[in-house]
Amino acid sequence: MPLERVSQGFKDISATFQISPINSDLISLKNSNAIARSIRNLIFTVPGDKPFQPTVGSRVSELLFENFDGLTATSIRSEIENTIKEYEPRVELKKVTVEPDFDNYEFNVVIQYIIVGIDVPVQQLTFILEPTR
Amino acid sequence: MPLVNFSNLDFDQIRESIKSYLRSNSNFTDYDFEGSNLSTIIDTLAYNTYISSYNANMATNEVFIDSATLRENVVSLARNIGYLPRSRKSATANVSFSVDVLGTTSSTVTLKAGTAFVSSRTFGSESYIFSVPDDITVPVDSTGSANFFNIDIHEGVYVKNTYTVNSRTPNQKYIIPNGGCDTSLIRVVVKKSQRATQSGTSEKFVQYDNLYDIGPTSPIYFVEEIDSERYELLFGDGIFGKKLEEPNFVEISYISSKGESGNSISSFTFSGTLRDNNDNAITSGISLITTNSQSHGGKSIESVESIKKYAPRIYAAQNRAVTSSDYEALIPQIYPESESVSAFGGEELTPPQYGKVIISIKPYNGVYLSSRIKNNILLELRKYSVAGIVPQIIDLKYLYLELDSKIYYNTNLAQSPSHVNDIVLQNITNYSNSSDLNKFGARFKYSKYLNIIDNSNNSITSNITTVNIRRDMVASLNQFAEYEICFGNRFYLKNHGHTAEYQGTIVGYNIKSSGFTVSGISGTVYLGDIANHDLKTGSIFLFKLNSPTEAVIVKKSIGVIDYIKGEIKLNPIKILSTSINKDVPLIEISATPYSNDVIGLQDLYLQLDVSSTTISMISDQIESGDDISGTNYKVSSSYTNGSLVRGTPVVVQPTQLETTSTTTTTSPTTTATTTSSTTTTTQTSQTTQTTPTTTMVNSNNGSTTSSSTYTY
Repeated sequence: MPLERVSQGFKDISATFQISPINSDLISLKNSNAIARSIRNLIFTVPGDKPFQPTVGSRVSELLFENFDGLTATSIRSEIENTIKEYEPRVELKKVTVEPDFDNYEFNVVIQYIIVGIDVPVQQLTFILEPTR
Repeated sequence: MPLVNFSNLDFDQIRESIKSYLRSNSNFTDYDFEGSNLSTIIDTLAYNTYISSYNANMATNEVFIDSATLRENVVSLARNIGYLPRSRKSATANVSFSVDVLGTTSSTVTLKAGTAFVSSRTFGSESYIFSVPDDITVPVDSTGSANFFNIDIHEGVYVKNTYTVNSRTPNQKYIIPNGGCDTSLIRVVVKKSQRATQSGTSEKFVQYDNLYDIGPTSPIYFVEEIDSERYELLFGDGIFGKKLEEPNFVEISYISSKGESGNSISSFTFSGTLRDNNDNAITSGISLITTNSQSHGGKSIESVESIKKYAPRIYAAQNRAVTSSDYEALIPQIYPESESVSAFGGEELTPPQYGKVIISIKPYNGVYLSSRIKNNILLELRKYSVAGIVPQIIDLKYLYLELDSKIYYNTNLAQSPSHVNDIVLQNITNYSNSSDLNKFGARFKYSKYLNIIDNSNNSITSNITTVNIRRDMVASLNQFAEYEICFGNRFYLKNHGHTAEYQGTIVGYNIKSSGFTVSGISGTVYLGDIANHDLKTGSIFLFKLNSPTEAVIVKKSIGVIDYIKGEIKLNPIKILSTSINKDVPLIEISATPYSNDVIGLQDLYLQLDVSSTTISMISDQIESGDDISGTNYKVSSSYTNGSLVRGTPVVVQPTQLETTSTTTTTSPTTTATTTSSTTTTTQTSQTTQTTPTTTMVNSNNGSTTSSSTYTY
């Protein structure tokens, strides 16, 4: 049996654990999708969640319960920047914007980055942060 | 690659092995990145494996007595081999008092079981209660006085628990609910029923620890330790021991003690209950309490380490004392205050004493055992004895270690020299109390000791420590006696040569002693030594001090010294007084050991004498940057100091010296011939070798007929 060629790209398992209708296997996330998922995971991980690795994660969830103002937005931005720089070596961070939406009590986060080693345009990850209880 | 490493107990290692597996067996690649979903799954798997391995490891450890850590498990494993760990021991004092009942019709007075005395003095604002476990009844004498002489009182609160036997309760348990119970003071009385009062309806049960001589009607019970240092009483089943029947009423009384904190209390006030033969309470006429012996013997519950050590040994001894290790295992059971026990067969002695077992015991408190305690131990040992073996308890022989440390420290890092000094002293005290030293067969490990000092504080840059060994010789005053002092360690010959002085340097004086006076010589004398040609043995002489650094030999060859064995033997000598007196007149003799690692051989008990250990703090100016070139560096000698004697030197008066110098000058006349044969040239060097003949005669003459021999 010939050796199967393993892709040199990035390939992660999907957290939904859904089955792909095409090959009846688990859905996998590849390259840019895998990295985007990884960045979201890092930002939403509270430090201490990962066993025996108390520093992995970001304090964003905690900061969402601070006063809703520009200062908190700045703190969230720097927290996101630090976390990505520290724990996601596959990306080179370009820009992070966190804008408070005072009407809806939420922060709009836009993260722009390029993927190191893969010839793809600048990626943009957008999501909304709001505290939930 | 398969998962092969099953022995990993570390989370990171487990995680790494799962990653290695995925690296070679999976299409997924993101296992290396902390944010990936795969990483979360790996974490979950690794955590699961980690918890399983941890549980398996702990459970397996707890199965074996050597590796178990939880007390319940160690106790349970010891129970399997018939070992009941020693309970907390209540401190016991002995007191006397009398009660004046003149003018009443009382013929006897009873001190009821229960609280009897309270300590008058309080320790740390805590007073201690002393109780008696049984009623004590004494008759009233013709003067109307009831005398309670020599009654033992036990520290702790007297508690009584009662149980009604109920056949509807399967596996009914009789558990003593309080911790801190002294099992030797448990008293059990079983009544036929709760209300039965007439005589013959209650029976006293006794504690047993084996099945010998137990019948179906024997009133016995067994004790077992259960969780939280509590105890359960087990009664017979009608085959081995009398079975309890409904509606029997069980009264269990005991003393709940505070252990060793109740020791050394000597002053008591009465607070017990006295009743006469008519059951009338007596509240007056009670005399002051005389304390015959202060409270002692209080001890905390046997530690887990001790159970691990003794349970297998007691099992091996099988209640028989045959080998020396049997004695070492049994004596701590008989006498719980023993800190360390050493036993060895008489055949190891020189000359051999076959059929004897020699035992030395180091008690926790104090240095020696009283003869009363020794006799009690020997009496108790008879229960375990076998024919043909005679146990003999001898006093401990202490070999003291005296250390002198020069500690170099960086002033920039130290709070103050005294602060560093205190830390070092504390660590040395801890080491001196540790089980590394306080046991028979202990070895002082020089390098470990240096490490302890170096690691005491980060300001310490180095230390230079010199080691001396010392033994205390108890002098038998005003009588001629021979003495033999064994150190069990080879001596180092600092100054050897064949003359007392060679090229201006004093030779000999490898041992140092404290001062003493002897018959026939005025003033304080000291012991000195000079090596023979073989440098293995030497002779001992007496000398006085003309000045702290100038010695005058006053009597030669008063004994011999064996440098290899570390032995000093003194010919019969009549000692009149000693400079040091610690309850007994002592002569301290110290020497430098050949090896800095000192061992306690056979019955020698090694002790680090912290009070004689010195620490000097020296500023390390090179390290602190004050004197980088080292020009003013203070050099410390790695060898012991040049003092000729121990303690403050006693310099003799010139008038006394004149008389002594005549003694010295007489010897050269006989010496002259031999010194010439050894081709020693200087006139001042006519001393050692031949003088023995002259002085030996003196000492032998002096010994007369009756002299005792003391071996230390």
